[in-house]
Amino acid sequence: MLVVVLGAAVLSIDTTPRTGASDERLFALSARLKCLQCVGESVGASQAPLAVQFREEIRQQMRSGRTDDEILNFFVDRYGQEVLLTPPSSGVAGLVWVIPVVAVAGAVLLLYFVFRRWRDEQGGDRASEEDTELVAEALSRRRGAGDRTDDAR
Amino acid sequence: MNRALGLAGVILGFGGALIGIVVLSVGLRTGRGSLLRLSRPYAAVVALGATLAVVAMERALITRDYTVRYVFDHGSSATPPLFNVATLWSALEGSILLWALILAGFTLAVAVKFRRRLEDPLVGWAMLTMFVICVFFFGLLLTASNPFRGVVPPPGYDGPGPNPLLQNHILMAFHPPMLYLGYVGFSVPFAFAVAALMTGRVGEGWLVETRRWTLFAWGFLTAGIVLGAWWSYEVLGWGGYWKWDPVENASFLPWLTGTAYLHSVMVQERRGMLRVWNLSLLCATFALTILGTFLTRSGVVESVHAFSSGEVGPILLGFFAFVVAVSVFLIGWRGDRLRSPGRIDSPISREGAFLANNVVFAAFAFVVLLGTVFPLIVEAVNGERLSVGVPYFSRMTMPIGFAILTLMAVAPVLPWRKATGELLRERLWWPAWTGVATVVFAVAVGATGPFTVLAFGMGGFAAGSALRQLVLATRRQGLRGLVGRANGGMVVHLGTIMLAVAFAASSSYIRQAEFTLERNQTARIDGHTVQYLGARTVERDNRVELIARIRVDGDRVFEPRLNKYRFNGMTIGTPSVRVGPTEDVYLAMTKSPSGGNGAVGIRVIIQPLVTWLWVGGIVMLVGTALSLFPGRRRDPLAPVSEPLPDRAADPPASDDDQVPAPVAGS
Repeated sequence: MLVVVLGAAVLSIDTTPRTGASDERLFALSARLKCLQCVGESVGASQAPLAVQFREEIRQQMRSGRTDDEILNFFVDRYGQEVLLTPPSSGVAGLVWVIPVVAVAGAVLLLYFVFRRWRDEQGGDRASEEDTELVAEALSRRRGAGDRTDDAR
Repeated sequence: MNRALGLAGVILGFGGALIGIVVLSVGLRTGRGSLLRLSRPYAAVVALGATLAVVAMERALITRDYTVRYVFDHGSSATPPLFNVATLWSALEGSILLWALILAGFTLAVAVKFRRRLEDPLVGWAMLTMFVICVFFFGLLLTASNPFRGVVPPPGYDGPGPNPLLQNHILMAFHPPMLYLGYVGFSVPFAFAVAALMTGRVGEGWLVETRRWTLFAWGFLTAGIVLGAWWSYEVLGWGGYWKWDPVENASFLPWLTGTAYLHSVMVQERRGMLRVWNLSLLCATFALTILGTFLTRSGVVESVHAFSSGEVGPILLGFFAFVVAVSVFLIGWRGDRLRSPGRIDSPISREGAFLANNVVFAAFAFVVLLGTVFPLIVEAVNGERLSVGVPYFSRMTMPIGFAILTLMAVAPVLPWRKATGELLRERLWWPAWTGVATVVFAVAVGATGPFTVLAFGMGGFAAGSALRQLVLATRRQGLRGLVGRANGGMVVHLGTIMLAVAFAASSSYIRQAEFTLERNQTARIDGHTVQYLGARTVERDNRVELIARIRVDGDRVFEPRLNKYRFNGMTIGTPSVRVGPTEDVYLAMTKSPSGGNGAVGIRVIIQPLVTWLWVGGIVMLVGTALSLFPGRRRDPLAPVSEPLPDRAADPPASDDDQVPAPVAGS
C-alpha cells in the first residue's frame, strides 16, 4: 500500500513555473500582493487601475529575468509591508505564525497528560460485579419483562 | 405611513420583549407558572412587531417611498423587482431588521414547540434569554441603526439603488437570508445553554432538547456559506470562490465552532463528559456570530462586504463583550456541577476521535480568528500596517485540512471506549484501499503535486469509511439506514469530502491567462480555444450591459459582460462559465472593446472540479436534512449500557456505533 502511494508521490511533481514570463507565474505572483486601491482583493483578482498597473510592472520584471523574491521585494520597498498578503515571519508580526503552533502543541500536551492521569487512575473506581448486577437489574425493571438482561455481551 | 407603521412594529417588538423579560423574571423568581406561561403571547407580540416592521419596509421599498431614509439611500425606481425586495438586506439597517425578524421567528418557534413545558424553569430561562437578545436587536433598530428615520426627498428624487455588486446576481437574494437563518438559529441552543447553567440542570436533558435546533442552524449556515462562495465565483470575475476575506471568515468562525460542538456533544450525550467544553463551544458560537456581525457591519476590517459604517460598531462590540462575560461567569459559577463523572479509557476510541476533532476544529477557528484580527492588533500595538491574506491561511489551514480528512477516515469506524489494532486493521482495510485507488487514479489522469495527490488519497480514504458505514447501516436497516444522526452525518462527511477534493483540485490546477483579442481572433490556453466574435450593448433600466460573444472550443458561444450601473457609473463584470463535470472554463471581460469594434480584454480561467464544490454543498445539506429525521435513537435517560430498544431481533453487529459497550468493560 505504502509502495503504491510513494510511487504515485514520485510521479506527481509540482510544475508551477518559477522563471520566465508566463501568465501562470504572473497570476501566482500577483495573488500574493494586496491591491491597495481596493478592499479585500489581491492584485491578481482586481481590475482596479492600480492592480492592472501592478500586473504590468510584474510582467516587465519577469521579462527582465528577476526572481519571485526580487519582484515581491520591489513592491514591499515601494509600498510597505502592507502590500504583501503573507505576513512577515520576524518581529511582532511573526507571532501570527507562532501562536497557533504553540497553542496546538499546548492542547496536545494537555490531552496527553490528561490521558496519562486517566490511565494511572484506572482500576480505582471501576464498576464492580455488584454494580453491574445492579444496573442489569434496573434495566430489566425498566423494560418490564426482563428480556435480554444479559445483553452486556 | 410606512415610517409610522414600521416604527410601530419595532416599538411593539421592543416593548413585547422588554415586558416579556420582566414577566419572566418575576415568574422565575416567584415560581408562578401562570406568569411563565405568558412567554408565548409575548413571543407572538414580538413576532408580530417584527413582521409589521418588515412588511412596512418592503412596502416602502416597493412603492419607492423616499420619505423613509433607508429607501432614500438604497432604493431606486430602476431596481428590478426581485432585487428591490432583496434591498432589505443590502445595507446595515435593513439587515438588522431581517435579523430581528428571524430572531423573533425563532423565539416564537421555541415558545410554540415547548408550549406544554413553558412552566419548566429551564424553558423559562431559555425564553428569557431569547427575549434579552430580542431587546438588544430591537433596541439597535430604535437607536443606532434605525431604518425608519425620515427624510424629505427633493421633488423628482430617485434613489441610487442597492450596491451594484449586490444587484448583479440572483444568488444575492438567497445568500443573506440563509446565512442569517444559520447565524440567528444558534441563539436557540445558546439560550438553552444559559438556561441550563442558570437552573443548574447541566445534565444531558437540554442537549437533547436543542439537538435539532442546532442542526437546523448549522444546515442553514452551511447553505449560506456555500451560496456566498458561489456568488463570489459568479460575480467577482477572478475565478475564485473563497479568499479568506474577513467577512467570509466571520461567517466561517461560528460554523467551525458549531461543527466542533455537533461532534463533541455526542460524547456528552453518551458519556456525560466534556460538559464545560460543550457549553463553552455553544457560547463561543453565539458570541462569534455577534463578533462576525461586528466585523461585517462596523467597517473595522476593510473588506468588500463592509459596505457600511456607523455607530453600531461599538454597540455590537459591547454586546459581544457582554455575551462573553455572561458565559464565562455562568460557567465559572456552575463549575462545581460541571465536573464530568467519567473518563476516556483510550485515545484510540470514538470519544478520543471526537476529542481530536475538537482540538483540530478549535485550532482551525483560532487560526482563522487570529488571522482576521491580527492586522488590527498589530496596528493598535505599534502602528505597523501589514496584511494577513490568502497565502497565510492556505499554509496554516493545509495541515488542519489533512488532519480533518484523516479523522474523517478513521473516526467513523472506531468503537466507543476502546479499539484494538486488529479491529482497526479489519475495518480500515477497504477504506484504505479506496484511498490508494484514488491516488492511483488521480496520478493516472495526470494529477501532480504531492500534497494535492495526498489530499485526493485522504479524500478517497475518508469517503471509503463514510460509505462503509452507510452500506452497513442500509444493509441492516434498509432505507432507514440513511436517516438519523450517525448515518446522516456520514452523508454530510461525503459532501465535505467532495468540497475538500474540489477545493484542492481547483486551487492547485488553476490555469489562467489574459488575452487582448481583435474580432474573430482566437487564443489558445491549456488545450482550449477561445474566439472573440464581437460585442453588443443592451440598455436596461438600471444599467448598460456590454456583452462580448466568445466561442469556446469552436462550439458554444458564451457571453461575459460588463454591467455599467447608471447611478454611480460603477462597472461590474459578469463572467460567463462553461460548467462541466471535470472542468470549468471561466470567461471574464476585463477591457471593453474601444468604440465597440476594437480589441476586447478577456481573462480565461480553467479550473477543474469546481462544480463539485456546489454538489458537495448540496450533499451536505441533504445529509443535514437526513440527520434531522429521528433515527433509531437511544432513550436519553437510559444508562450507557442500555441496549437500543427494538434491536432484540438483530444480531449485534460488530461495529454498530449504537451498540453500547458494556459498563464494566468485561
